[in-house]
Amino acid sequence: MIASQVLNEWYPVAMEQQIRAGQRRDTQLLGMPISVALQDGVIAVQGPVRTFPVILRFGHVWTCPGTPAHDLFTVPEADQPGRRLVDVGVVRVKCSPLRAVENFLDIAHFPFVHTDVLGAEPHTEVNRYEVQIREDSDEVWATKVTFYQPQAAKSAEGGGQTEYMYRVPAPTASVLYKTCPARPGEWDVIGIFVQPLSEELCEVWPWMALFDDVTPQADLIAFQQMIFVQDRSILENQLPRLLPLDPGMEIPTQADLTSIAYRRWLKKRGLTYGAQMVAA
Amino acid sequence: MTTPWIATGLSDDLPCGGVMAGRWQDTQLAIWRSASGQLSAWKDRCPHRGMRLSHGFVRGETLSCIYHGWVYGLDGACKHIPAHPALTPPAAIRVEAFVCVAQDGILWLAPAGALDAPPSLSGLRAVRSISLTCGVEAVLAAEPDLSGHDMLRGAVNLAGQMHDICLLAQAKPDGITLHALSDPRADPVHVSRWLEALRRRAEERVAA
Repeated sequence: MIASQVLNEWYPVAMEQQIRAGQRRDTQLLGMPISVALQDGVIAVQGPVRTFPVILRFGHVWTCPGTPAHDLFTVPEADQPGRRLVDVGVVRVKCSPLRAVENFLDIAHFPFVHTDVLGAEPHTEVNRYEVQIREDSDEVWATKVTFYQPQAAKSAEGGGQTEYMYRVPAPTASVLYKTCPARPGEWDVIGIFVQPLSEELCEVWPWMALFDDVTPQADLIAFQQMIFVQDRSILENQLPRLLPLDPGMEIPTQADLTSIAYRRWLKKRGLTYGAQMVAA
Repeated sequence: MTTPWIATGLSDDLPCGGVMAGRWQDTQLAIWRSASGQLSAWKDRCPHRGMRLSHGFVRGETLSCIYHGWVYGLDGACKHIPAHPALTPPAAIRVEAFVCVAQDGILWLAPAGALDAPPSLSGLRAVRSISLTCGVEAVLAAEPDLSGHDMLRGAVNLAGQMHDICLLAQAKPDGITLHALSDPRADPVHVSRWLEALRRRAEERVAA
């Protein structure tokens, strides 16, 4: 039995372009078989007994298997002129969808998992940053996050201090804003949209909205794929596979403030699909 | 009651500076050997975010988690958290240790506090490990010259000569792993070929 709070959220289930091109996608959402396909020129999501509502946004198809509690979040920066929107594609990961989001919010792993790209020893320190659950939008935000990066983006030359902001606007989606190497003063925007196939299996759709007129699309995609495949080697080897919401199960530090806020936010809102409430 | 020692691998398969996954019954463990040769076996889970420590890396006399680089000393206590270099980690951050002993070329595991020693196999030489998708019963049925349960022994004909063979069986979720020893006169290549043939015969017996 899946809680209504979980059912009433929006989830990514396909890349819009692929469905428009006539590909039909038979997949799963929260353990239910669904199919995403063109019907009379309109993208439709068919659930086990009825069709589900659809929102097309950020190049992806979103659906809600319950009664939508609210609109899908927006990313106003994505509409800025001059940005390139990049659909990276899909990576299947044998982990809880919530663990995939939490890893996206984490910077302390950069020197060890994305060595010499997003981080490198001895630059391992995570400075204090600010985290809040914004009451107006009911989103988790982390701001003033700074970290030394050897190669922050495909377009970056050499290392430097990168500033980040992180945002969790939906239980299985997160968007980050980071220093844009090509245009100081602007942010590059990178998202991950996580499709929960089941509590312990997900498909992750990275997405980018960048100021970068130079790098070929294939290289941008390859860069982001490389980063995510490195993350997958971690995500598939965390025990337990479900995200523990019992505070006694894992030991966070100050660097984990975003993840602590995310776990609290999930718990408060009853969004526990993919979570473990008490130690097994 | 004597300690249930379980063989988990060959000592030669874990060089100094190496780390591997092992298990004692249902408990998954990270087994590692420090630069100076000290063996440790810990629960295969970093207390921070649950990452398997068997994916970690050894530096000197410490094992680090591959996820965030948390450093653990030989006593199992966290010594350093790279995200907070100036912090002295609280003593409560530590991994649960098992006992790991290398004897007769075999890595043996027991729960913490084990006082006795693993069974002696002196006079035998460790040859290799091999994983099978069947159980011990199928191995015994395929090779009537062997007898025993966790420790299968017998005299086996290898290239026309009889040799003393010992197979230490380790239960896994999907079958067993056999850690093989032989008398030192046996050619390791002959032992290895015989093991591979034994695996085929035992697995085919189950499939049939």
